[in-house]
Parts: sequence; structure tokens; C-alpha cells
Amino acid sequence: RIVDEKAQPVVGASVVVKGTTTGTSTNANGEYQIVAPVNGTLEVSSVGYPTKEISIANQANHNVTLTATSTDLEQVVVIGYGTQKKEAVTGSVASIGGEKLRDVPTPNISQALQGRIAGVDISQTSTRPGATMQIRIRGDRSLTGSNDPLVVLDGIPFIGSIGDINPNDIKSVDILKDASATAIYGSRGANGVILVTTNRGQRGQKPRISYNAYTGLQTLFAKYPMMNGPEFAALRKAANNLYPNSLDESDNINTDWQDLLFRNGLVTDHSVSMVGGSQQGSYTFGLGYYQNQGLIPSQKYTRYSIKGSVDQQVGDYFRFGFTSNSNYNLSEGNQIGLYGNLSSSPLINLYNPNGVLKTTAFSGPDQAYVLTKDRIDSLNDAGTWLNQTRGFATYNSLYGEVSVPWVKGLKYRLNVGGDFIQSNNGGFTGAGVVNTNPTAVSSASISNTQTYHWTIENILSYDRSFGKSNISVLGLYSAEQTKVNGSSLSATDIPNEAFQFYNLGSALATNVTVNQGTYQQSGLMSYMGRVIYSYDNRYFLTAIVRSDASSRLAPGNKWHTYPAASVGWNVANESFMKGITPLNALKLRAGFGQTSNQAVPVYSTLGALSQRPYNFGSSYAIGYYVSQLPNPGLSWEYSKTLNLGIDFGLFRNRLTGTIEYYITKTEGILQSVSLPPTSGVGSVVQNVGKTQNKGIELSLNGTILNNVNGWTWEAGFNIYANRNKLVALADGSQRDEGNSWFVGHNINSIFDYKKIGLWSTAKDSADNYMNILEPGYKVGMIKVLYTGGYDANGKPLRAIGTADRQIIDVDPNFEGGFNTRVAYKGFDLSTVGVFKSGGILISTLYNSNGYLNLETGRRNNVKIDYWTPENTDAKYPRPGVNISGDNPRYGTTLGYFSASYLKIRTITLGYDFNHSLLKGSNLRLRMYATVQNPFVLFSPYHDESGMDPETNSYGNENQAVTSYPRRFLTIGTNTPSTRNYILGLNLSF
Amino acid sequence: KKILDEQPRATFTPDYFQTSQGVQGGVTSLYAHLRTIYGQGYYYNTCETGTDEATYAQSADENFKVMDISGQGNITSSNSRADVIWGSSYSDINTASGIIENGGKLGVSNALLAEAKFFRGFDYFLLVQTFGGVALDLGSGELKFNTSAVRTSKRNTVPEVYTKAIFPDLTAAVNDLPDAPRVVGGVTKTVARLFLAKAYLTYGWWLENPNNIPTYPAVANRTDPAGKNPQYYYQQAYNLAVAGITNAGTNYALQPTYYDVNLATNDRNKEIMLWADHTENSTYTGGNIYDGNGPNSLNQDNYAVWMMTFNYTNIRSSSSPTTWSAVSSVQREAEQHLGRPYIRMCPTIGVVKNTFADKTNDSRYDGTFTTVYRGNWQKGSAPVSTYSTLYNSNFLPVTPGSAILTFLNDEPVPPITYPSGAGNSNVGAGTLPGRADWVVSPNGISRLVYPGLWKLGTYRTDNGTGLGYPNAGLTRPFNIAKFSELFFIAAEAAVKGATTTAVTGTYANDGTARGLINIIRARAGKWRFDNNGNVAKIQDNSAAMIAATPATVDIDYILAERSREYFGEGYRWYDLIRTQRWTAFASTYQICGSTAGDHTPVTVSRSIDSHHYLRPIPQGQIDAMQASADEKAAYQNPGY
Repeated sequence: RIVDEKAQPVVGASVVVKGTTTGTSTNANGEYQIVAPVNGTLEVSSVGYPTKEISIANQANHNVTLTATSTDLEQVVVIGYGTQKKEAVTGSVASIGGEKLRDVPTPNISQALQGRIAGVDISQTSTRPGATMQIRIRGDRSLTGSNDPLVVLDGIPFIGSIGDINPNDIKSVDILKDASATAIYGSRGANGVILVTTNRGQRGQKPRISYNAYTGLQTLFAKYPMMNGPEFAALRKAANNLYPNSLDESDNINTDWQDLLFRNGLVTDHSVSMVGGSQQGSYTFGLGYYQNQGLIPSQKYTRYSIKGSVDQQVGDYFRFGFTSNSNYNLSEGNQIGLYGNLSSSPLINLYNPNGVLKTTAFSGPDQAYVLTKDRIDSLNDAGTWLNQTRGFATYNSLYGEVSVPWVKGLKYRLNVGGDFIQSNNGGFTGAGVVNTNPTAVSSASISNTQTYHWTIENILSYDRSFGKSNISVLGLYSAEQTKVNGSSLSATDIPNEAFQFYNLGSALATNVTVNQGTYQQSGLMSYMGRVIYSYDNRYFLTAIVRSDASSRLAPGNKWHTYPAASVGWNVANESFMKGITPLNALKLRAGFGQTSNQAVPVYSTLGALSQRPYNFGSSYAIGYYVSQLPNPGLSWEYSKTLNLGIDFGLFRNRLTGTIEYYITKTEGILQSVSLPPTSGVGSVVQNVGKTQNKGIELSLNGTILNNVNGWTWEAGFNIYANRNKLVALADGSQRDEGNSWFVGHNINSIFDYKKIGLWSTAKDSADNYMNILEPGYKVGMIKVLYTGGYDANGKPLRAIGTADRQIIDVDPNFEGGFNTRVAYKGFDLSTVGVFKSGGILISTLYNSNGYLNLETGRRNNVKIDYWTPENTDAKYPRPGVNISGDNPRYGTTLGYFSASYLKIRTITLGYDFNHSLLKGSNLRLRMYATVQNPFVLFSPYHDESGMDPETNSYGNENQAVTSYPRRFLTIGTNTPSTRNYILGLNLSF
Repeated sequence: KKILDEQPRATFTPDYFQTSQGVQGGVTSLYAHLRTIYGQGYYYNTCETGTDEATYAQSADENFKVMDISGQGNITSSNSRADVIWGSSYSDINTASGIIENGGKLGVSNALLAEAKFFRGFDYFLLVQTFGGVALDLGSGELKFNTSAVRTSKRNTVPEVYTKAIFPDLTAAVNDLPDAPRVVGGVTKTVARLFLAKAYLTYGWWLENPNNIPTYPAVANRTDPAGKNPQYYYQQAYNLAVAGITNAGTNYALQPTYYDVNLATNDRNKEIMLWADHTENSTYTGGNIYDGNGPNSLNQDNYAVWMMTFNYTNIRSSSSPTTWSAVSSVQREAEQHLGRPYIRMCPTIGVVKNTFADKTNDSRYDGTFTTVYRGNWQKGSAPVSTYSTLYNSNFLPVTPGSAILTFLNDEPVPPITYPSGAGNSNVGAGTLPGRADWVVSPNGISRLVYPGLWKLGTYRTDNGTGLGYPNAGLTRPFNIAKFSELFFIAAEAAVKGATTTAVTGTYANDGTARGLINIIRARAGKWRFDNNGNVAKIQDNSAAMIAATPATVDIDYILAERSREYFGEGYRWYDLIRTQRWTAFASTYQICGSTAGDHTPVTVSRSIDSHHYLRPIPQGQIDAMQASADEKAAYQNPGY
């Protein structure tokens, strides 16, 4: 009988006699029968557990307890081009099983990984349905290049969106964090590697069908903190009626625009899969359906996915297989932005005297189209306002493997991967729709991109044991090419609105615009060799050399070789450790290696011209000017990482953990360097500097109660701190103010004035020389730090100016996550949480970029505590005076908040019906209820705004005026965060 | 091996400049860059606010207030929006240098190369007036196409910029450009003559330096490297300007009336010599033609006129003849009198009362401003659009097209009754007995309510029967240079002592300052349409206009006349700093306050200092340079 660590039967586990094709699988009670030679060995395996070998040793009954993987050094981990026992791993590799991932019901693994693995920082970049998250492994290294890790799906480098992978198909996710582990991916290894392995059947496994489903309600986590009618009316008065009420507005109206817009969202996920195996082969097939209707009417994401894999042994020496993951997805309603809604005055009376909803209304001087839920729904029904993106992606790989018969342990394997991704967008806006001009003509656009990607890998491997020595050697030659091209068209005044965006050619030729096409092609060629050696399960060594050549670099610079090595010492297996009972496992690891990232954008060694269209009267022409200088000397950004780790297990492995320390030095940081205007060229891409990341990571997993009176309590905890700084700039200078780079500071630094309060009173202003520091300034305005000198009388020598700007580091002090699970008699209650301490959160709702904190009364304002003669102790400045470009002067300083928070991501209560109703049945059923994002603690931003403190936008998105680079994550006017209530079931038979 | 090769198929690389199509495209780009400067509302502000023509208005932000130099904050390297030219010109200069270098090798015609030389000279002329001496070496040598990523910069002196760049380039342009433009709006000999003449005139003033205004980078004494005196340059200016007038041929001409010069339906007329063009085709206009809030729309859009448009949409009439029931009777419309209000800048009371003292003979006040706001509610949306009659001042009826608010030419007797606050008009406008329109007199012009700038107003052809797209950038060209300015340049040079010669041909006159100016004034006296009265008006007041010209035309008279001719077109600050008469003309001004109903004129003083004659080098330049703090400080103009 085969049971898990909770003494529950493991159903469908595969039991195979080692070295033969004889196999069976366990029944609903976990029982099995097999005919096997008395001196043989049984291999027991099941999804989510490491394979266990049992020597039969002439016994009839073999009861096996399988222990779940994540807390066990026995676990097998995927390390790229192969697997390895966790015990033997010498690099920094973290793994999480598919089951654990599915503790958080999410549309993609990026959301499920949040807070689960030390050193892996997952940040939200969008709150739209179907959005994926930003993954950072051990911080940022690159300023302009991608800091995204390489994802490898079932062995083939994955170029699609992580949202294309159905989480229900995933067997495990293994994350390679340090260079000694990622060097096998050479020029793509610097940002870490995420190896995603999907479920496969096992030989001898009886067919088994699983059905997983959940559905739930998404509710608004928090409204955007906008002013209500009376508050806004008061602000307008405080701003001296700079913007008087329009005819649509009245002080006694209190319109809540957000109430009129948002609906509750719905999320639904269904997934069916079948796995099975024959004596010689195995297969799995699965179908998935996911749909999320967002809070914004008509905003929706739908995904259909299909997955299949087959493995077949042919004779004694050949093995073949293929894997295919495909999906079709549809995103709708992304044309709807929130700015118009949030910025509309709450004083607007939305209804005409006859009770009809107005089409447009004046918010102060600005006329806005009135968008409510009902109006969007009716436009959607009429088909006169829509935006759809239809994506289709298929990721396929084939392999053939031959075991060379005359050399034991030598294998040749050929992997061929072929992927195709297509994305089609269509948008249509009917005549007069969402336009203050009722006679505005209709407009439509279509765009498409196609991505083609192929990979060929030739792998020669040799695995052999000699006495206490194990050796594993691997050689690789591979080539890979990616091509992306796209085109787009737009047209106005579509003659028949029913055509929507399906026939742009029906418009007059002069109303059709063909936009710029896109085309990028890049290729990579590589050689790689790896040796893994272990002695007596005590000493381990891994050495890797990889050579990559890329098309993106100029001739002469294309090739680079990446070396890496790591060693491990399993101290616990030493004889002198035998007597130390609490300590079950102790391993020391050290690794060093070099990797890089492919931060050079395609064609950037060649320079670029920008286009500038112009009209000479009614004849049209296109102008060109140099926008980027060529630089054939470009190279990758090379990272060298030293990693030290300790893995340990205490109290019969009820407490296991890992501590790691790393230091990564990255050289040749690439940046599109902004040149001074006097150079005549906007920018040049250059290798400009060096960065460093160092950090400490701690992960702990414990079984606090192990079936004590039926109670089991497990907990996991991780915490990590990464210190990122720019170490040097290529020209030897210490600071580059134009690009906001400062040696010794985070590469994500802000260079801005520092708000130290307000010029709160007339006395304060007089005592502190406001007239000198801020000529023309009024009491109640933002006071920023002055760094200049003073004369003998204590008078400042000059006015505050650009010399007073300060460097502000934005990275957090530490981050982490935790999860806990309590089980009792079939019930289980689990929680996953994440936390972050310190750092700067940029909210463009509060700063000048968002145009939502103008404090002039022109548009609705975020609800703030502003200065008035009666409220001099306020946080925000006096409304309506000293305006700098529509905003209060120094308004950018109002958007910086502490980024600290602790957030419970999910609380799940589940019940396993096999504990009672279905006891002993072959049918397994578990149901659960989950609440996601129930609450947030310790967040100053949440305390002030009530909002989710997680970022929801890239630095250049969802704000009125862009001024941060994309790499800064911000909170802006994206679809609001949700709190979700989900019911789900897992059924298998 | 092939997979390691790169061949871009959708993006251009600098190699493209080595082809003749690339050179053509480069020249197009030189024209296109005009859009990033001319019509850009914030740059426009730096040309007007702080002069006698304009001050900041009610909704002004720091960018506008500091330019007023009236105690509303200091002009700094961060808030001065002269950065617009700094940020745009060098890229243009570099493209021009690339064309000049490559074009010669490729056998491109001298006429086309001369267009590039014209723009390089044009850009340097704009830079040197605004900032003082600027860099001639962008990184690969003086006036060379820059292919190196330098992050340092060294400023040349003012005489170096004139004598090494501006004069040779514009002289080559005068020699090699054709008489007739290659493309609509293309530069010609006459255009080059205008700018070269203006450059000589400006340099003459700089050498003479009558009010001892400092320059930067400092020069020991103002001697010309060519050893010429100011008089020589005044004479060159005069000769070139007169040559421009007499050689205009059929390509350029004064319009019959001043109204026709700026009438939108007459855009690109023969009086306009250079403009930043725009069109209703959004692909080629450089912005979104339907919406003023589109991404990057403000980088190339023409929206200068918004800045000096008051919020006329706040004007109210009543739907009821007995109880005041407010409706919006003048709605935002894409029409030359109206357009998008921004309320950032306004004319001073002095403009209306003094600059345009003569509003009856001289057609230019009427041809410059919107002084009558007319009802257009029938073009808006229901229910307001359904009213055939509204009730306005004194509850008198008004119909679509009726005057709703009028800025009077003079102070009326009896005086206007103004409300204490916004009043029924909602904008604090007053009433006169028996008049249905709200009224504001010259002394009542405030930072909130002021005449609009009709001449630059919005115009488009797709309004249909509605209000159109008033919020988009203008689809009209923004005018940069006019044929009439040749008369002013010659006249100014004459005032500065150039030897005059009689002008023959279409514009025959005695060639003196008075003779030249009278050509302009005579035309200003001709009416064919009363713009604000909205009726035809055939009248010729040329004789009265000439009679009113003083016997001796001095520099102040030329400046006053320039303001009448070019009010609000972005000339003023440059005119005042060239002649060093800024302080004299603009040290005080009169305006009423920002609140509705405030019609009490206040005299405001400006503290214009000699360092204000140069704008600060933009902070973006200072930040982007790799240089020590001292070097950066030395790069900046003194006083900033």
C-alpha cells in the first residue's frame, strides 16, 4: 500500500520493477499488486512526489510512504537539460510543485508564485483580466535590457507569455537563481531561469481523469480615493474658484462616478485532463477553459487551452515523444480607461431635466463623454465600441532519444521545438461614440503580430556510476531563431457601422492609414558542456561551459563563453555527524559562474533614424532624422555571481530550510544614453556601467503538528533582502543627473526634490526666508529641502533650484512570503501571504503625472488633507496657487509613499470527501472555498488611500503625463484591484 | 551562420542618409521640425509673456507666471520653456549638416542643399538670439555631422555663431535657393534674404549694444571678427531687405487687406513666407486631429492660440425671459473666433488702449482680436440647441449669431454697470442700458475676461453643422515669417542709419523708414470686411493712416507699428531684446484681476534685469552633460 505523509492513500501511483517494463498502479486505497523478482527493486512514483526505490528483498508486502516534494531533500529537481536529486544540487535551485502552486487559484503561474520563493519577487504590472506579473529573480541588473528571467517550458526556451500556460497542466516549477545553475543557458541566464514542467503520464499508469474547476466573484478591493461632491465643492472654494461650476455642475450634487461604472467581476476555470500509460508508453491530454470578466464593463479575458504529450519507448534503445501546448485567448474591453471617470467632477448632474442620462457633461471647463456601466453595456450590445485582442499560440516539441547500446550510460537526444504565436487586435468606435463631438466619424483599426520560433538541440549525455562515484556528462549544440513581424491599419468614417473593424477597405481610400510595419529577426547558436560528479553522496561538483553567438551583436563581437562551477558537501552524510540526532540533513554549497542577458535590442548596433511626417500644403512627405547613433562595439551585460548556500533538516526533517548568500556583479550595463541636446542626437545605446546585487535568502518549511489527534499543521516562510546598487559608470563619473544614475544607489533611483513639509504659516514662511528660497511663493505650499549655504545672519544665499534635488532609492529593505496549512479530519485551511518592507511606492494618482491631484478644482481630485488657513498642519499644499504646469509646484514629490505592506493573498478552506463520504472509493473529491486579497496590513499607502498597495502599472502607463521609465512600477489608473470569493472542486477518478 | 546576420526590414538606419532618397527625407524633416517650435503653446508663451503685449491670465501656471517677471517667481533653467528650441534645434542642425555633407557626394542639387543650409542658419539664428553664444561643434567638429556620442559641449561666442554659421549658411541660401518654392511653403531666395537681413540687423544691434546689455559667453569687447562696424551690418540688412521687396516677383505679395493676411480660409497666401504646416490628415499633421489629449499630441501640435483664449464658454444667457435660467450660449467651437480656451495668457489693457489706439481707420485691431462673442448654441446638443431665442443682458432676446459679449472699443458714457461677482453673465461682464450683449470696456479687461486672438484662431473644414473638434491641435499652419517684415527690417535699418535708396516696382516708395512703413500702414487702412461686426465693410482709410504717421519714424515707432502688425505672433520678445527696448516698453502694464467681476485696472511693475535678455540654458542640457559642477555652472547663462 502506498500512502502519503498524512497516511492518506496515494491513488494512481505508478509502481514499476526497475529495469523492466513491468508496472502497475495503485487503486483508490493506495494498494497495488505486482509480480517481481525477489532481488529486484521497485520504483514508486506519483505526481508531486519524488520517485522512491524500494528493494524487494524477498518481502511480500511493501508499504511505502511518499513524502511531498517541497520539504524534502530527496526531491528531484529539474536543472535544465536534465534532472537531479535535490540532495546533489550544488547551485541555487528552488522548486515548487504544481499542487502547491494551485493553492492560489490563478490564471497563470506568475500570480501563484508570488511570495512563495525566496529571492523571487513577483510584482503586479497590471490589474486587467488576464494580466501576467513581473518576475524578478534577485533584483534588477539591467537598466534597459529585460530583467525577466528565461522561461523554459518542458525543456524548450519559451518565448511566449506566461499567461499562455494553463496552471492546471503544471507538474512543477523549478527556479534556477544563481549563475552556477543558470550558466547552462549562457547569454540568457543572468536573470535566472524558470523551468516549467508540465504533467506527463507514467508508464504502467492506469488511465485517470481529473477535473478541476473553480468559479468566483470578484469585488472591488477599494475604490480610487476620489473626492465626493461636498469635498470637491470645498476644494474648488479653497482654490479660490479658479474653475467655477459648469452648467452641468451644482454644489448640492454628489455623483459617485465609480459606483456608476464598476460591476462585480466573475472568474471561471475548468480543466479536464487524462493521464495514463501502457507498458511501453504514456500519455496525457488536457483541456482548459478560463474566463475572467473584469470590474470594468465589457472588460473580459477568455482562454481555451489544450495540452498533450506522448512518450513511447521503442525497443530497448529508442524513445520518442512529443509535447504540445496550445491556447486561444481573447481579451476584450481594454479600450476603456479610467482617467475620464476618475477625473470627472462629482458635482455633475448626470441627468437632463427629463430624466435622460446626458451624453456629455462639463466638468469645469472640460467636456467629457458620460460613461456609465449601462452606457458601456448598451454600446457593447450595439457593437459600436469594442476592442478585441485574439491570441493564438502553440508551443510544440519533439524528441528522439537513443541509448547507445555498446557504451553503458551514453545517450543521444535530439530536441526540435517549433512555436507560433499570433495576436490580432481589432478596435472600432462608432460615429459619435465616446466623443464629445456627436458628429465625430467612426474609426476602426486592426493590427497583428506573428512570432515564429524554432529550436534545434543536439544533446549527448553519459551517466555512469563507478563504485561510490557518480558521473554525468552532457554536451549540447543548439541553434535557435525568432522572427516577429506585424502590421496595422486604421481607418475613419466606416460607411457601415455593422462592419466594425472587419472591412477597413470599405472606407474612402483617403481615410485609410497603413501604419508602420514591424520586423525583427534574431538568432542564437550555442555549444555547451556540463560535468556533474558526486562521490559517496558526500561531495558534489558541477562544472559548465557554454558558448553563445547572437545575431544582435556586431560582427567580431558575436561569440562569448560562459564558465561556471559549483561544489557541495553533504556534511550530514559524514560519519562524524551520525550521532547528532536533531540534525538530519546539512549541506554546504558554493558556486560561481558567469552569465549575461540579451539586453541589446535587435538592430541597435546599427543606429536608427526616426520618421517625421509633414505636409507641404496638401502634399504629404516623410522626413527622417538621426535619433540613435550606431554602436558596433556593443556587448551583452555580463553578470558574475558567487552563491553560498546551506540546506538543512532538523527534527527528522520536520523543519527544513535553506539559507543563501549571493553577490552578483554585472558589467557593461547597457543603456540608451540620453545625450545632451547639443549633440544633435537623442540617444545612443552604450555599455555604460556596472551594477551589483547582493542578498540573503532564508526559506523555512516546517511541520509543526504531525497528525496529533488528527491535527496537522504545516508552515512555510521565506524572507529575502536584495541590495542593488550602481557601482560604476563607464566614463568614471559618479553621477549622471540626466539619466538619473548615481553610483552607490539603486539603479532605480529617483532624482527629485525632497518634500519636508509645507510652508505652513506666515510665521514659518517669514522665519525660514520663504521670500528668498521661493520667490513668488505663497504660504501653504510645498516646502522642499534646501541644500545651499547661509550668510552670517542665517539667511539662505539663494533660491531653491535644481541643485537641491536629492537621490531617492526606491528598493525595499526586505521582502518575503509565508504559507500555512492546518488540516483536521479532511478539512484543511491554508493561507498564503506576502510582505515587503521599506522602499518607495510611486503613486501617480497623487503626483503631478496623474492629473488627479491638480488641487485646482479643474478635475476631480484624490481625497487629500490639504492646507487651508484653518488647517495649516496638512500634508498636501494649498489648492490653486503656485501652479506649475497644471499641478502644484513640486507636485512630483506628492507621489512617493512607503512601499511596505503585508498582504494575505488567499485563505482557503477545503474539505476532502474521501475522508468520509467517499472513503475507499476510487473517486476522489475535494471542494474548497477561497477568498483572495482579504486584507492588507502595515501599509502606509493603504492606510491613506484605502487602496491595494501593490503596483498596477509600468512606469509609463496609466497616467496623464509620462515621466518615469517603464522599469519603475507604479500605481496608476488601471482597472482596480479585486477581492475575490472563489468556490472550487478537484475531482478525479 | 546565416542565423547570425542582421537585416532590418522595417526600420531605418543612419545608412539611409547615404542615399538620395534619404537626403530628400532629411530635408523634409527640417521643415517638419518647425512644428515642434512654432505653434507650441509653451514656447509661444516665452515670446510674448513679459512683453508689452501679454501677461499671464487666470489659469496660468508657473511657466507663464515667471515669464511675467512681476514677482510671481523667478525664471529658472527648469521653468523656462525656451527649452523647446534648445531641444529641437540641434537635432535639426545635425540633420542639416548630414545633408550638406552627404548630399554633395551624392550629387544632390545645390538648391536642395541650400534648403539645408537655410535651416541650419535659421536654427542658429534662433538659438543665438535666445541663449547667446551656442555650440558650433556638436561632437565631430564645427558644423560637421555628428556621429559621436559626446556628452560634453562648449559654447562658442555670439560673433562666432554669426560669422561662422549664420551668415555663410544664409548667404549660400540666398545664392543657391530658387526664386519660386520647390514645394508649397518651401524656402526661396526671398525667404533667405529676409532672415539674412534680420540676422545682419540683429548682429548690428549686438555690436552697437546701446544699452550695455551683457552677452555670454563673455567677449572682451564687441568687435566683429571681420572687422566691420555696426553700420556696415545695418546697411547689409537694408540692402537685402529692399532686394527682397523688389525681387519678390509673383511669388510673394502683400495681401489687399490686413484681414486677408490672417483669414484662415486664405492660409498659405502670398504674404506668408514661412510657416509650420498642419493639415486635417492626422497621419501627416503630427498629432491627433480629433482630440487634444492624445499621446504626444502636444509635441508637434499647433496650439499657441489656446493660451490667449479666455473661457468664453462660461458666458451665460437665459432660456427664460423673466427669471434667470442660465444656459451656455457661446459654446466651444472649432471656429476662428472661438477655439479651445486655456486662459494662460492675456493682452494688457495698454495693448487695447494704446497699441491699438486707432480702431476705426486701422483695420488691424479688428483683424487681430475676437472682440465680439456670438451665440452658437444651436450647433450644440439638446435641449439648449432647440431654443430659437435666448435672453441675455437686460433680458433682451438674442438669436444664434447675435453678439452675446462685446469688448467695447472705448469707455462708454454712461459707464458700464458691472456685477460684484460673476453676475448673470457668469463671467462678471457688465451691462449697458438697451443692449442685449454683455459688455466689457478696455479698462475692464482682466486676467479672466479679455479679447481673443482671432488671427491665430482654430479653423477646419469638417465641422458640418456642429461645433466640430475644438480641442484638437489646429489644422492650420502656424505662420513664421511674412513678406511685410521686409519693410520693417529695411525701415529699422534705415532708422539705424543705413543709406536709403528709393524702392521701385509694386511697392514703390522713397525707401526711407517712413516711406517703407507707410506701405504697411496704407494697407492697414484698407477694409473689406468688419470682422467683429460680421458685415462687409469696403473702406479705404489709407490716406488717414499715412497722415497719422509721424514725420520722423524712430525705433519706438517701428516697435509700436510691429506690435500692431504682428501682435501675438511670437515676435515681440525678440523685437524688444534686439532693440534693447524691453525695459522701456514693458516695465509696467495695466490689467484687472483674476476674479469674476474684477474690473479695477491695476498697474503692475516688472523687474526686468539685463540678465533676462538671455534665456537660461535648459536644465536638461546641464543635467545631461558630463562635466564638473563648475563647468556646468560656467555653461549656464549668468543670473540663472
